[in-house]
Amino acid sequence: MRILCFVKAILDPEAPPGAIRFPGKVESGDVSTVLGPFEGNALELALQISEASAGSFTAVAMGDGAQDVALRKALALGAGRAARIDVATGFVDPLGAARRLESAAKELGGADVYIFGRQAGDWDMGVTAGLFAGLLDLPFVPLVQQAEVAGEGLRLRREIPGGYEESLRTGPIVLSVTNGPRTLMRLPKVKDVMLANRKPIDVLKPAEVGENLTLAEIAQAQVTRQSRMITGDAASQAAQLSAELRRFLVTGGGN
Amino acid sequence: MRSAVLARLLDLGETPAREAMGLMEALGGEMRSLILASSAQDAVAAVGDVHLGVHPALEDPDPEIAYLAAVRLIGDVPPDLLLLPEGPLFEMIGARLAGHFGMSAVRDVDEVTAESGAIILRKGAYGGKANVRLRASGGVVAGLRAGAFPAADPQPQTASIEDLGPLAEGGKERRTVRDTSGDDLGRAKVIVSGGRGLGSREGYESLRPFAALLGASLGASRAAVDEGWASPSQQVGITGRKVAPELYLAIGISGASQHLSGMSGSRTVIAVNRDEHAPIFEAADIGLVADWYQIWPHLQKALEG
Repeated sequence: MRILCFVKAILDPEAPPGAIRFPGKVESGDVSTVLGPFEGNALELALQISEASAGSFTAVAMGDGAQDVALRKALALGAGRAARIDVATGFVDPLGAARRLESAAKELGGADVYIFGRQAGDWDMGVTAGLFAGLLDLPFVPLVQQAEVAGEGLRLRREIPGGYEESLRTGPIVLSVTNGPRTLMRLPKVKDVMLANRKPIDVLKPAEVGENLTLAEIAQAQVTRQSRMITGDAASQAAQLSAELRRFLVTGGGN
Repeated sequence: MRSAVLARLLDLGETPAREAMGLMEALGGEMRSLILASSAQDAVAAVGDVHLGVHPALEDPDPEIAYLAAVRLIGDVPPDLLLLPEGPLFEMIGARLAGHFGMSAVRDVDEVTAESGAIILRKGAYGGKANVRLRASGGVVAGLRAGAFPAADPQPQTASIEDLGPLAEGGKERRTVRDTSGDDLGRAKVIVSGGRGLGSREGYESLRPFAALLGASLGASRAAVDEGWASPSQQVGITGRKVAPELYLAIGISGASQHLSGMSGSRTVIAVNRDEHAPIFEAADIGLVADWYQIWPHLQKALEG
């Protein structure tokens, strides 16, 4: 099977609170750029399908040179080719992004399976895979947890509320991948990481597209609460917590 | 402006669908309610011009069937703003519909305003660390965050009914499995969630009797799901389930920003973690720097006593 896997490098989502600031723009400080977590899940699935179908996959990213972190990771894991659509970093209308990915996919010769992570951890849009499927008029299966090659098709397990759904799909398809034990990205070998650093990354010219959405404002979100600490030894802490829980269960809550 | 709500008939009585209709009423202009149903109905409680698209497979639709049905129901002229409650329907078809109709798409929207003729949509970004406001200059499909909008109180009215006719088939050999641990976190009053700090599947399982004592549902962090200790349907976080219980207990959860965002609607948060610097304490009302396994035997005795 021919596979295109779309990846994205983002500011480390595990950065401590306050490390990335948003005073009307994104100030990344010294936070490093890493492969997005769900893109890691997508790469793992791409790898599994390519291995099972004796095929290969191409990794595609969109952005400036910072995206090469994601592409090098894909190459180290076994991507046969890596390509970057050369656009500036910053907010991009998801429809415009999907149109550029569509153009790049055609330039790269198309695929049988197009794989995305379910949501990039920067703008948290979670819509690019669906938009891409709509533009190409291809079936779309979201939140895939597991995929097995079955003849010419794929047996897919996707997350649904309170469980999962399995089905067999044939023909070109777009998938978004979610996290789980079967999509946990394997670690590349050190030797493959070294080799990946010497492999070429194709740079593609972005398609000219219009935008339906523009960023009007970005601001810091306030999520901090005033935390009261329960201290003491384990028995004392448990007794205090028990009292809090009993009070909650009797009164129905409140601070 | 022309706006429309797209929802399944089965979901019309639920608050998120009524919130989408409430937003449509607040925005005004031309309004349509586009309802996907498995059978025709005499009356439908919805807002604006009500259109019912009927196909038997819409009882429990495959993503392909739901998408094809929605494309037919929307017709040749899509609205400027298509509203869907966040959830499985948006997940399956919301963004794909947008691509099909040349519209953009935004999820988890918690505020929509009209400014100088443009629609402004607000949502979270960077795992809930930031809020962004996006200006729409073209068509947009928006997924609405539950609880963010006043609900409409629609009265039953006669809908125009469209038989959606034959639709291409979706996936073959389709099989749906409901998780026996499928607690309904979205409706839970109390949630006990566990994370990597519990160390093992057995550690995560130790939360089960605690949750039972509190009458709580059992949630999990992304790490606990990745480890296979909990099912994906139990994952709380911006990319899992967003929850808004009266009480949220985070046990062994460090507090990655996407998790904090998913639990941010909780009224009271209690966190237990061995790491005093864990970000979870910044999002908690009550914190215990402690080893859960040291606390639990005492707590169990106290709660059972």
